Amino acid sequence: MILLDVLMDGAFAAVAGVGFGIISDPPLRAFKHIAILAALGHALRFSLMHYAGVDIATGSFAASLLIGLGSLPLGKHSYCPMTVLYIPALLPMIPGMFAYKIVFSLIMFFHSMGDPVEQQQYIQALLTNGIVAFTVIFNLAVGATIPIFLFSKKAYSLTRRNKQTISK
Amino acid sequence: MHNEVKEIATFIGEYATRLMGSGVHTSRVVRNTKRIGEALGITVKISTFQKTLILSLIDENYEEVYSQVVDIPAYPISFELNSELSSLSWQAIDDHLTLDELWIRYNEIIAKPKMHPLFVLVMASFANASFCALFEGDWWARGIVFSATMIGLFAKQRMQAHHLNHYVIFIVSAFLASIVASTAFTFDTTAEIALATSVLYLIPGVPLINGVIDIVEGHVLNGFARLTHALLLVICISIGLSLTLALIKNNLL
Repeated sequence: MILLDVLMDGAFAAVAGVGFGIISDPPLRAFKHIAILAALGHALRFSLMHYAGVDIATGSFAASLLIGLGSLPLGKHSYCPMTVLYIPALLPMIPGMFAYKIVFSLIMFFHSMGDPVEQQQYIQALLTNGIVAFTVIFNLAVGATIPIFLFSKKAYSLTRRNKQTISK
Repeated sequence: MHNEVKEIATFIGEYATRLMGSGVHTSRVVRNTKRIGEALGITVKISTFQKTLILSLIDENYEEVYSQVVDIPAYPISFELNSELSSLSWQAIDDHLTLDELWIRYNEIIAKPKMHPLFVLVMASFANASFCALFEGDWWARGIVFSATMIGLFAKQRMQAHHLNHYVIFIVSAFLASIVASTAFTFDTTAEIALATSVLYLIPGVPLINGVIDIVEGHVLNGFARLTHALLLVICISIGLSLTLALIKNNLL
């Protein structure tokens, strides 16, 4: 059943990536590439976290590195800059649940003004979730950008179509 | 000759601000703009800020320098424009386009119709429901998140069409989506996951990631400007969500 879980995870991530990406008006030809990258990245993170005991920060970094590397050949194929493919593909991994818990603990912190022990728990929850959310977002963006640095010459000319395709 | 440089400057100013306004990360804007200048036989120097650009165009043949400050309007984020306008900068070099041809192609690209709002609405609702699935929400929760996103995003689209202040838009949309999702507490389901996921379609993921990209690429000020802007929007989402939480908190405890 491990395989089914991983596949389901990838499928939901693909829908989430394409759906959230659509708000930012991507080119139609990029949709299938975004779906593939989002599915691969999220499934990798899911597998690493559930079966290899990797933490969420490292898992996100590995997944975004894979997405970044994948966006290079796929970008060449669809004449899209790497960021056009990898930013939507990263969106399903944005740590929304942790962001929610930050807000929740902040509200509960003020709600329990008279109870220092409880307040301390909420401060701790605030810090924990804040650190995780910040680190994951940073790792996502950096991991996917590293391939741009490594293959900068190739990455900068992905939207260059060769002259034959233009003149026809 | 002065007029010619001035005309080129008008195009390059329009091109660069369109890219900056449409959510393209800074180093790509700078690279594309310089490439267009090179194709037209002009060296472009560019400083970028959040709201304005400073351009200096150097015509080496006539030893002229033309400078201008251009305002960056707030356009909706568009990856389509990012791809097509980047492609245009390569066409300018490969096909030796003149300034007039560049204007024609540029106007064609920005006149392309956008995605239909209804299609965006449906797809984003499916996306947020899938997001709920990724956070291990059950089918009830996914359905509730689907409808919450649809109502919240529809309100957002209508408010954007009326050009309301975007902080207000984010607060109201987050409140609407979360209040709809809070109906989950009346069912036997993963209600807290539904509530938390319902506002996530608003998270400004593009400026968040662009901000970090800008910072690691050395455009530190621009990166922080983008992150600050994204953070303000996240705070607005929290305000909308906390209004709901304040109304229903007795259910949570």
